[in-house]
Amino acid sequence: MAHDDALVHELEAKAKVLAADCLTQFCTFSQGHVGGTMSVLEIITALYFHHLKFDPKNPDWPERDRVIMSKAHCCEAIYAALVELGMYPRETLGTYYCYGSPFQGHADRWCTPGIDFSGGSLGQGLSFAAGLALSEKLKMKFNPPSREDTFLPRYIVRYNPRFRTYCILGDGELHEGQVWEAAMFAAKFKLDNLIAIVDYNKWSLDGPTNDIMPIEPVVDKWKAFGWTVYEIDGHDLRQVLDALDLVAKQYGDNKPKVIIAHTVKGRGVSNWEELHMHLGRGEEMMKGVREGRAKYGDVE
Amino acid sequence: MATWNEHVAIGRPAPTVKGIGRAMKAAFLKDPRALAILEDMQFPEIEWFTDNMFDRMIECGIAEQNGAGVAAALASEGFIPVVNNFLFAGMSRAYNQIRQSILVDRFNVKFIAREGVWGEVGISHATIEGWGSLRVLPNLVMINPADAVEAEKATEAMMQYLGPVVIKQEMSPDPFTIFSEDYPFNIGKAYSLRDGKDATIIAAGYLVTEAVKAVDLLEKDGLDVGVLNVSTLKPIDEEAIVAAAERTGAIVTAENSSDINGLGDAVACVLSEKLPTPLVKVGVEDEFGQSGLITPERDELMEHFAFSAADLAVSVKECIKKKERVR
Repeated sequence: MAHDDALVHELEAKAKVLAADCLTQFCTFSQGHVGGTMSVLEIITALYFHHLKFDPKNPDWPERDRVIMSKAHCCEAIYAALVELGMYPRETLGTYYCYGSPFQGHADRWCTPGIDFSGGSLGQGLSFAAGLALSEKLKMKFNPPSREDTFLPRYIVRYNPRFRTYCILGDGELHEGQVWEAAMFAAKFKLDNLIAIVDYNKWSLDGPTNDIMPIEPVVDKWKAFGWTVYEIDGHDLRQVLDALDLVAKQYGDNKPKVIIAHTVKGRGVSNWEELHMHLGRGEEMMKGVREGRAKYGDVE
Repeated sequence: MATWNEHVAIGRPAPTVKGIGRAMKAAFLKDPRALAILEDMQFPEIEWFTDNMFDRMIECGIAEQNGAGVAAALASEGFIPVVNNFLFAGMSRAYNQIRQSILVDRFNVKFIAREGVWGEVGISHATIEGWGSLRVLPNLVMINPADAVEAEKATEAMMQYLGPVVIKQEMSPDPFTIFSEDYPFNIGKAYSLRDGKDATIIAAGYLVTEAVKAVDLLEKDGLDVGVLNVSTLKPIDEEAIVAAAERTGAIVTAENSSDINGLGDAVACVLSEKLPTPLVKVGVEDEFGQSGLITPERDELMEHFAFSAADLAVSVKECIKKKERVR
């Protein structure tokens, strides 16, 4: 299961490039959801640059793994990954928030190939992800893969889903009742092809998530809803990679999986971390951008 | 007796849900992509579905917001999910989920929504505001069939249409059979049951039946009144509405829902832009629904909301007076 150091170092470097790309996006209107974006970068890096079945040349590939960014205000991280994968030219980063740009303020499936879910209204992503996971099950049931479909041995075809669905949730989003409706639904339909990742950065817009509305004990909650739960440090790429591999291997156990990734809001930029900045605006945010540029390099 | 246009054959009362159920069975047999999304609120013909389509019934439980999200995802993968519920639960409760997860991406989700003020169900279930609230949502086609025949044809058309559609299964007394079996239903097309000279009643759903009764009452007073069935509230058939206004110069709208943002307002908008015409709206006037006793002799709700044929006839006469004053 151990990943070699070369891979981890390569992905760590990639995460820094994504951070620089995100800074470019924040600059267009001196505004952006900096906190959640910076906290989810390593997870996005591990998914898009190592783990996912995803073809940037064919973003509508029916067998691609689906990534549902339920906390869609942090879609800057995915935009950065799509740019680094070559789906969009680098200049697109400078059109973030602009009229007619594929990089809208909240993810929009309709105008951004590569995005699987139009989010923004919190709490809806896990239902959508559960629906995708269910449709994979239904397709396998109604239309099982035949010998002619693939050259792979049957046991591989039988013991892997056609695609997996990953859903990235915020911690404040767990306040939404719909998340727990979807959690019950996923357990009922035994969606072992569904993987939720909670970006647990402990802070919401108004203050500490657990003061606004306590979500703890969050691990016990997911367990009680019938999910398999793993807790990791969301900024340690080795742990992220290990967790993703582990949950992928457990396909067939009839249980949906959730990875609770402990993260730091606004990670990597000192004044964003101090302020637990959610939506950055104006000079306060630009101070952080300058610091980040010194650290991650200026991509422009 | 009044004469009627082609394809109209006034007959015995029949519940619209039968028509919806028949068409839904046929659609499921024809198209393997159709899925029934259940929210613990009996699907039409549920016994048949349980016996024949058990694999294609997705029971989501009493969790309508999640149900809408799941339906959106299934539609994005090429299935045709059909969500069945009371409008207030399946759609008003999940209003933002429908807006954000389904309509923004125009996913091919179908809704059967129960609404209306009839019955003993009480204020919570006798909602009248949901239908109008859906009218502001882009990308949603809204159909309110007048009888079981139209309900069957509308359901068939809904299942063939590519995009989100809602059919209102009105909570009302059983409407008359209005149309003959060869009635050509088209989404977005109104159908004139009778052209008339003095006024036109523009109605949808159960109120078409009351309009048909009102025509006979008014004929006794020497008035020739037309009836236009506007079953598709959105997109609305502007041509047919303007033609009716041109023909008769007096319009009465009738609907079993709030008169705010419903059929009456839609018709008023069309006419005030294209051909200003004296108009009287009949609907629930800015109040909640309620339960009441319905017996063959007496219908308390009909009296309360003034929806009967006699009430419609009064409105028609009032509108004709308006027209004469304008002249």
